Amino acid sequence: MSGGASPLATFWGNFVENRVAVVALAVVVAILVLAVAAPLIAPQDPYDLAGLSLLDARRGPGHVGAGGYVHWLGTDAQGRDLVSAILYGLRISVQMGLLAGMFALIIGASLGITAAYLGGRLESLVMRVVDLQLSFPAILLALVLAALLGQGKGQLIAALVAAQYAYFARTAYGAATAERRKDYIEAAAATPLSGRRIVFRHLLPNCMPPLIVVATVQIANAIALEATLSFLGLGLPVTEPSLGMLISNGFPYMMSGRYWISVYPGIALVVLIVAINLVGDQIRDQINPRLRR
Amino acid sequence: MRFKALSTVAAAALAAVLGAGAVAQTLTVGVRGGPESLDPHYSALGTHADAAKHIFDTLVWSGDDLQIEPGLAESWRPLDDTTWEFKLRQGVKFHDGSDFTAEDVKFSIERIPVVTGPTTLLIYVRRVKEVVIVDPHTVHIKTDGPAATLPNDFVRLFIVSHQAAKDFSTKETAAEGFNSGKAAIGTGPFKLVSWEPKGDLVLERFDAYWRGPAHWQRVVRKEMPNDSARLAALKAGQVDLVNYVSSADWLSLRNDARIETFLANSVYVMNLQLDQREPTPRVYDLAGNPLAKNPLRDPRVREAFDLAIDRQVMVDVVLEGLGRPANQIMPAGFFGSNPRLPERQHDPKRARALLAEAGYPDGFKIDLFCTADRLPGDAAICQGLGQMFAQAGIQANVNAITRTVYFPAQAKGEYSVFMNGWGTLTGEASYTLGSLAHTKDETLKLGAFNRIAYSNPEVDALLQAAIKEIDDTKRRALFEDAMALIMADRALVPIVNLQTVWAAAKGKLKMTPRVDEDTLAYFIRPAG
Amino acid sequence: MTGFAIQRLLQAIAVMLVMSAIVFLGVYAIGDPMELLIPPEAPQDIRREIVARFGLDRPLWVQYLTFLGNVVQGDFGRSFIYNMPVLDLILGRLPATLELTLAAVLGATLIGVPLGIYAGYRPDRAGARIVMALSILGFSVPTFWVGLILILTFAVSLGWLPAGGRGATVELLGTQWSFLTANGLSHLLLPALNLALFKLAMMIRLARAGTREIMLTDTVQFARAAGLAETTILRHHVLKLIAIPIVTVFGLELGSTLAFAVVTETIFSWPGLGKLIIDSITNLDRPVMVAYLILVALLFVTINLVVDILYAALDPRVRRGRTA
Repeated sequence: MSGGASPLATFWGNFVENRVAVVALAVVVAILVLAVAAPLIAPQDPYDLAGLSLLDARRGPGHVGAGGYVHWLGTDAQGRDLVSAILYGLRISVQMGLLAGMFALIIGASLGITAAYLGGRLESLVMRVVDLQLSFPAILLALVLAALLGQGKGQLIAALVAAQYAYFARTAYGAATAERRKDYIEAAAATPLSGRRIVFRHLLPNCMPPLIVVATVQIANAIALEATLSFLGLGLPVTEPSLGMLISNGFPYMMSGRYWISVYPGIALVVLIVAINLVGDQIRDQINPRLRR
Repeated sequence: MRFKALSTVAAAALAAVLGAGAVAQTLTVGVRGGPESLDPHYSALGTHADAAKHIFDTLVWSGDDLQIEPGLAESWRPLDDTTWEFKLRQGVKFHDGSDFTAEDVKFSIERIPVVTGPTTLLIYVRRVKEVVIVDPHTVHIKTDGPAATLPNDFVRLFIVSHQAAKDFSTKETAAEGFNSGKAAIGTGPFKLVSWEPKGDLVLERFDAYWRGPAHWQRVVRKEMPNDSARLAALKAGQVDLVNYVSSADWLSLRNDARIETFLANSVYVMNLQLDQREPTPRVYDLAGNPLAKNPLRDPRVREAFDLAIDRQVMVDVVLEGLGRPANQIMPAGFFGSNPRLPERQHDPKRARALLAEAGYPDGFKIDLFCTADRLPGDAAICQGLGQMFAQAGIQANVNAITRTVYFPAQAKGEYSVFMNGWGTLTGEASYTLGSLAHTKDETLKLGAFNRIAYSNPEVDALLQAAIKEIDDTKRRALFEDAMALIMADRALVPIVNLQTVWAAAKGKLKMTPRVDEDTLAYFIRPAG
Repeated sequence: MTGFAIQRLLQAIAVMLVMSAIVFLGVYAIGDPMELLIPPEAPQDIRREIVARFGLDRPLWVQYLTFLGNVVQGDFGRSFIYNMPVLDLILGRLPATLELTLAAVLGATLIGVPLGIYAGYRPDRAGARIVMALSILGFSVPTFWVGLILILTFAVSLGWLPAGGRGATVELLGTQWSFLTANGLSHLLLPALNLALFKLAMMIRLARAGTREIMLTDTVQFARAAGLAETTILRHHVLKLIAIPIVTVFGLELGSTLAFAVVTETIFSWPGLGKLIIDSITNLDRPVMVAYLILVALLFVTINLVVDILYAALDPRVRRGRTA
């Protein structure tokens, strides 16, 4: 680490050395901006049925529809402008990924750190459940939960969180136990220093770097999982098309040459996930070079 | 109502003409769904019956347009109000060489209630009280009351061999006995070679078939649930024929020189159902508060829904041509559908005016429900409805959901406006109108699927009279009148009649597509 | 030690009991299968009769206890759809899934490890960078999307390979296998490739990381100084050392791939377990869903149990620590 610079500045300095990661970060930021601003920049509200026209259905890229503007990426089977649908789809995907990742992080980290701090029966119980679940494939769990809870955003997020929290719990637990064994915590625990202080001042900050790494990976995973579930018909309802749903809805038209309905949303999804993973990779390499897989 | 055994003669003649040319050929068919068991009595599902008809025969046959024809029964007639006499075809052999007799009919009818699964065949034999064997080729069926449509019900009565199946006729043994082939002995055109659930059904010609031997030495039905994969298999030459070409692919196939398509109207009509209960759930004012009074009870509101629907656009755009605008809840031409009904109009302006007259000048909000995974185009039609309603001033929140959620919730009465397909599987009106349009009545066993509390005493009276009427002409007239009344009430609003497409390698075969969507190898001929 | 094992076994049984109750309740909550399966025109009396015949009119806890009693005797019930014992149905599908999984994981290892070694051995070459870029892509691109693209390219556009299904099979050791026939192999190729991509990316990364670490160690430096050929170094030192983690991961991945196959099997209509569970969810075939989930849970609980007991046997501290 170089002398006077703050750790964050150093981190950033190292980050920009990897040009691919910088480009990826720019893509992620751009997609975030697009997702947030979708209602402002999309030519059409794809969920407002009154604004759609069936006569524009399944037109190829470049078609000028009833709205009087060009559908640059064509339209889907309901006459939705695909540019708009993709922007809104990105919005849903990012939203689901972030919400699921955040809840999984909070729940998982709390469980992991609590287990590490309190120890005893609780520790073994919690970690046994976590380990058992980690050995259980996330996709299967999400699939069953999605079927069980029904369609809808809330239900889907719950399914994703349930499938992912264990990764955070495991990571937080590992980092927290390592820290807890250190002398200064043992010493602090012996003094009348409050437990809350130990947890928040010492354990949590030390758990954060690995948790951030896991979080980037899991957000990308959550987005992919959501798309997969929607594709299998167990995710969001068709009237609120996420990227996965758009891909799924467009697939039947692939054989008859109307590729755009499925292909463009697919490209958007892949770009989003790849970009997040590239950024995540770089962060991981920097935080812990030995963690490279 | 006496049938002459013409078809035997015709079949024999056909066999004589083609007999010499009936070369050893294999027909490979890619089907969307296969049987779920080889026990024909387990499930009433269409795909199940489709496969079963290759190995087994039904007592009464349903023709290409679901008209009833002699099958294993050569003729039938009512003796009195509660007795039907069936004369059985003579000289029919089972695959094991044994003779088909009245014993097999009695055995099959009595076997159904024991072994049938949740997709139950009970509905087809529920009127039977007793089966009396008069002689080896005559049976008398006693019913629990006048049962004019008993022969129609018997198009799903598969006849199994009482000798081969007697040890495999309990819930526990049925599947094993039939799936292993031990009991799968029928009188049908093909013998079972092998079957795997979700896999291939392999069949071989039965030379002693009573209609004459089939054109194909071997028939393989490959189950391929994915529409695109099935079509790809046809294009790649792995199969000769596929059923259920999706509307998405149909247009492009018509320009494909290597492929030939066959189109048929299906038995399915999509209808919109408007709840008549007071109060009804999920109908709101513009601010989203539940409406105190059910607007759907107002005929003007119902007419507005009807006028909002542009059926031609549904067909041309949503289904890409694969359907017909429907003006009643049964396909045109079926027994009891009314040929004098006018085409439905599309007039969103008039719809708005009607809504205003009814006290909703700015419309109202509804939750519209439908399945997204049951019939081709269901979710798309439903979303199309949402668009069309919006243009007439009714804001629909469209919920195209999986049938596993839809049907249980619909049964509990959780929906007020919903759309689902209804197939007139027996080809006549008592099945459809009796289930959908009669007031729900447990003692009469009518209105079983009337989930909108639709009730019109005139309709009820007509339907009850029709069901008891043995005379065909009179019965038809009663059903037609009932249909006209039901359509005028508009609690059940027809949208489109779906169509089904088969595709085959060009020059390989000739077939007459069937309305019930069956793909029966026996009736498919090699080209040339 | 025996005491510890017994205690663990009891724990595992308790976990299974809890799991079975959760699964049973959960599947019950999804929806009423009878509303889906009974023909719509069936009048009330027939409905009631059918519901009673399948015992679904009884209180939930009675249904659960009956189910539990049957399971203890090895009877998981019969599928509503197929009328076959669920266990037969599941076991009948297992070979197809196993075959697909084995093909995918083996393929991923055989291709991924050499690529990974290359990328770790010459990290600065353009080829190595391409390999790494591919591995990131393999990690990121959702399986179902790759599947669609594979079908579109090789089945629809080029027409080289079938778009789905399993193809011809040959009997070997009492089960049907498709990799032994040309037709079966052509059906296997695309789904196996689809399933393998994620694993391939993982194997590449694993092998690369291992190779890079080993290349920097003294052993390799010495070997080089001694004038050993590079291929010998790769074969003798690198491959040997990275073999252990790779074999471990291979074993672990085999398990998780079994479940991952759900997506691939659905897209390629592969008649395996994954397709079975998806179909049973869409048909509300309760007995199949319940049995499948309980069996999967049993599998994972058993693995955990065995690992625990093995660890305890090797390391007495675990025993003391956990029983405390």
